[in-house]
Amino acid sequence: MVENDSVTEKKPRIRPIVRLGFFLISHSNYVSLLCFLSGIVALLLLPILANNTYISENALMPGSANSMLSTQHVSHANKFINDLTHSDIESHKTVAQYMSALDAEVTYHKFYPQLNQFHPLHFFTSSDSGIISKNISCSSLGINVAGIIRAPRGDGKEAIVLVTPYNPKKVGPGEALSLGIAYSVFSLLSRVTWLAKDVIWLVADSQYGEYSAVSAWLREYQAPVFHEAEIVNSETCNDSIAISELGQNPYSDRNSYGGFRRAGTMAAALVIKVDEQGNHHEDSLNIYPEASNGQMPNLDLINIVNYLGVHKTGFRIKVKKMFSLLGSRWLNTLGGIFESLGQIARSLNPQWKFGISATEYVEGAATLASSMYSQGLGVPTGSHGAFRDYQVDAITLKISPKDSPTKMIRRNDFILRGGRLIEGVIRSINNLLEKFHQSFFLYLLSSSSKYVSVGVYMIPFALLVAPLPIVAASLHADASKSTLQSTYSSEVEVSHKSWKWLNSARKVLVIHLWGAVVSLLPYFLYQIPNSTPTTNFTVWGILSAFSLIILYFILGSPIFEAAPSQPEKGEWASLKSVTISTAFIGLSLMSVINFATAEIGALLIVPICLMARPLKLDAQARSWRALLRATCNLALGFIAFPPVAYFLVKGAFEDFNGTNVGDYWNWVESLWTWNSATYLYVESVELT
Amino acid sequence: MSTKTETPVKKKNQKKIQCFWSWVIGSVILRLIIIYFPKNLNLSSRPEVSTPLTSIRRLAEGYWLKQSSMSPYAGSMYHGSPLLLTLLGPLTVKRIEGQPDHLLCSLVFVIADVVTAMLICAAGKKLQAAYSSSLQSIGLHHLSEDSDILPSGDFAALLYLWNPFTIVACVGLSTSAIENLMVVVTLYGACARLAPLAAFGWVMATHLSLYPAILIIPVILLFGYGPDAPPRKLFRQRTNLEVDDSASGDRSCLEDELVNEKRMLNVFSWRPVVLFLFWALLWSSYVLVLCGIYVQQHSGLQEMFKSTYGFILTIQDLSPNIGVFWYFFAEVFDFFRSFFLIVFHGNILLMILPLALRLNHRPCFLAFVYIVLSSMLKSYPSVGDSALYLGLLGLFAYELKDMQFSFFLFSGYVGVSLLSPVMHNLWIWRGTGNANFYFATAIGYACLQVLYLFSLISGPLLVLILLLSLFSLLLFLN
Repeated sequence: MVENDSVTEKKPRIRPIVRLGFFLISHSNYVSLLCFLSGIVALLLLPILANNTYISENALMPGSANSMLSTQHVSHANKFINDLTHSDIESHKTVAQYMSALDAEVTYHKFYPQLNQFHPLHFFTSSDSGIISKNISCSSLGINVAGIIRAPRGDGKEAIVLVTPYNPKKVGPGEALSLGIAYSVFSLLSRVTWLAKDVIWLVADSQYGEYSAVSAWLREYQAPVFHEAEIVNSETCNDSIAISELGQNPYSDRNSYGGFRRAGTMAAALVIKVDEQGNHHEDSLNIYPEASNGQMPNLDLINIVNYLGVHKTGFRIKVKKMFSLLGSRWLNTLGGIFESLGQIARSLNPQWKFGISATEYVEGAATLASSMYSQGLGVPTGSHGAFRDYQVDAITLKISPKDSPTKMIRRNDFILRGGRLIEGVIRSINNLLEKFHQSFFLYLLSSSSKYVSVGVYMIPFALLVAPLPIVAASLHADASKSTLQSTYSSEVEVSHKSWKWLNSARKVLVIHLWGAVVSLLPYFLYQIPNSTPTTNFTVWGILSAFSLIILYFILGSPIFEAAPSQPEKGEWASLKSVTISTAFIGLSLMSVINFATAEIGALLIVPICLMARPLKLDAQARSWRALLRATCNLALGFIAFPPVAYFLVKGAFEDFNGTNVGDYWNWVESLWTWNSATYLYVESVELT
Repeated sequence: MSTKTETPVKKKNQKKIQCFWSWVIGSVILRLIIIYFPKNLNLSSRPEVSTPLTSIRRLAEGYWLKQSSMSPYAGSMYHGSPLLLTLLGPLTVKRIEGQPDHLLCSLVFVIADVVTAMLICAAGKKLQAAYSSSLQSIGLHHLSEDSDILPSGDFAALLYLWNPFTIVACVGLSTSAIENLMVVVTLYGACARLAPLAAFGWVMATHLSLYPAILIIPVILLFGYGPDAPPRKLFRQRTNLEVDDSASGDRSCLEDELVNEKRMLNVFSWRPVVLFLFWALLWSSYVLVLCGIYVQQHSGLQEMFKSTYGFILTIQDLSPNIGVFWYFFAEVFDFFRSFFLIVFHGNILLMILPLALRLNHRPCFLAFVYIVLSSMLKSYPSVGDSALYLGLLGLFAYELKDMQFSFFLFSGYVGVSLLSPVMHNLWIWRGTGNANFYFATAIGYACLQVLYLFSLISGPLLVLILLLSLFSLLLFLN
């Protein structure tokens, strides 16, 4: 004890790291501005920092074998397409006949199109299979047909899935063509000797949406509910009778089985689609990788498709772009600047190669923005999203032919090329020894052959978010210092000074509680039958306002009463510091769950958090600078409000109109964004 | 939740009593609501809540094995005490129609939580009485009169009841609620100088989870010296100051007084200590006999020790939890395993002696620090352990009112407790993360606890703790 005292009295020696911390905190304004701006610059630099993709898993060996798909398979496929489009019998029977003719095991899977179940706690419970089967009329029964080829070399423990969605009521030319491609590959695979994984061809009934059909089949495959089968059977539907008759029909399928058949765990899944419209410059292939909540399939899967598409079959591989950005002038100028910078750097030292051409930059930025947008929205871009919920890597391949599929002369050629691509992909997945794990799961695509990995894209995010803890710390220090000075006389106040923040923490907690209540409300609203989205939305708005009032009365009133008695400025500072630190925690949490949402959210929230100040204090200051700041605040509040509200409305309507269960988090995030923005806004209004 | 309660407790000291009970009832109602919540909350299978030692599902399995006349420890499923099996086992089987499963068990845990809170409250009152009397004895009456000392017992009890960790552990049916109860029984018994009760608590707590065994040092100090007081050095200093001030005259008289005081304060009364030890011996033999009767058909006490204490000490189960051991021992080579086991368990033992020397005038606080330490370096930690030490923090609210980094620690706890389930989800359910993601939060949690401990006891110990954590981190990087 005594020794300690003497040491501290001698000289207050501060370690350099602590001194650095003090320095950062005391210059928090400049530091935060610097961090924020450099964060934005780093974000704009991302297209330049993108790396070329490479195939990371050695076992894949794409394109090492020659393609075995011949014109014979293609002519079979042509026959199949003609039968499918022109025959009188129901199309799923045709499909089943053709499948069983290839010695595949054929099963029908009947399902009720599931309405969108909005489940607030879905994220944490993950694997619940409690599905509510409601009374839906039999006419809305969907039928998936699945054919399984058992691998001659495999042990039946692994499988590869091919999915072709189609509408049995009206088979369009594009859908027929995609079925034809899948059929040609399937007929080849039923004869090959190298197959080590079972192949499942799922012909998904997409009359109620592709996603629900695929997810219903997957749910049955992965997490069967045993009493649900009885419900379906006990149902006295004409459809189900027809199906059971069909199952017993000795002519059509000797390999048709009544029960649900399974192959092993799925290694990967490919969803094949063909664009209905032609009118493209050349045959191209669009890749859609994004699943729910911004999850991506393993990069190796995209790499294989890209490699085979470019080097073997000559497709032009595309990833979705944000076309509005392509023509934008500021991006083009920015690209020009970066290009010239790159040239300067290269003239200084030829080893430095970070410059890319302006057009390349703009293309990369547009792709990156689109990738970020669709990840951030959290809605899957196709039926492949259903697979990701069961940890199966899946992508949608949408092939766009040069001519329209209806009047296509070179249909055989097209089927051959598409089939060879699929065959190659399946063959290299077939080589896989374990499930995909080598390459990245967390990345953004900036073109089909370039990616930005997690280590790179986290830098701009970290720079964007870094001001928050610094400002929070400096505000906290200020607040405790000011209370210490102002209330030094009364001993009671001093005694609580280090726990001063508790009061403001309570306020923030109340507001967040309200946010949670509001975000849980749609779940309950969903239980109300016969409601349109608009009424739902209005009811939701009213209820949330109502709950705010109730919360204000129950929990809030003592809080807000207590506020004026304390010195206003210190109070405000500590409140702000608590809010900012919660924003920081929330953003960093979100960055782990869904990076893109967090990045977009950070762009919106961080300036609000940094700029927000009570209007009253500004008004008291009465200098032009303060006025400027106040107007800035108000403007920011208004600017930030509409996009967030737009986000919110969009999210809400998507939920109500039935897209997907998993975007709850996105939704909460947007709500949460809205919530804290409102909070600051309300706070500044209150203090005025 | 905790923040919501803390301030009203501080603000309204006068309206304390009625407020206190309404808050207690409120916490019980909240627990019941969560228990009746649809089961998709699934708390009892979360790795943060239930460890191999505290999981109710394992307990039910052990009971089932026992009922089918096998050893409850067969198949390495159950690793708890046989006494818990007799207490909770029948309750796991009993179902009431239309009620959630394990309702009776959850009720037991709710009761355990409330009793724990009451005991914390009572212990706080004892401590406070001792505190004000010792203030008077050094002549700082004005301090105790001027500043209204927080009713730290009530505060701590509410903090314990409303801590989200406690609620989660209680609703998640982790038996750590009962372990915590036993630890608190020990503390209360020692503060109230009830040797049989303290001995019972200590024996039971040790029997249930082994680590509270180190509490014997603070308990003996409590029985020997009495509850916490300012350091004895302070008494001496004060009297020295008085001597210097007066600087003349009746020095001899003062010196006599000093000697008297010293004698009075330094006295270590052996009688209650011996009594405590006697009772501890009695209770432990009683517990052993009971356990022996329970497991006598199946290879006896030896197997019990092997699969309870042995299981704790050899860290056989490497399923993830919020500690850092599972990851490390999954990585380490088999032939280094025993060495690292010794190193890791040695960490706790290493800390015991310096802490006891440093804090021997504050046995209660010492016990608190030991609890923090053991829940940090435990082989299967869960949030139930943190719930205990975060609740007990309230007992020392007045002493720790100038605690540094309180806000930082609070944010850290909030952040880590939110991040942990997210990382687990990424690893297990989404498959996009891996074990390192979850382990990162475990490291963060460990660092947070180190910082927490550091902010509790600043001083020469800081160096030791930092060295310790550095050492452990180096080991992780090996």
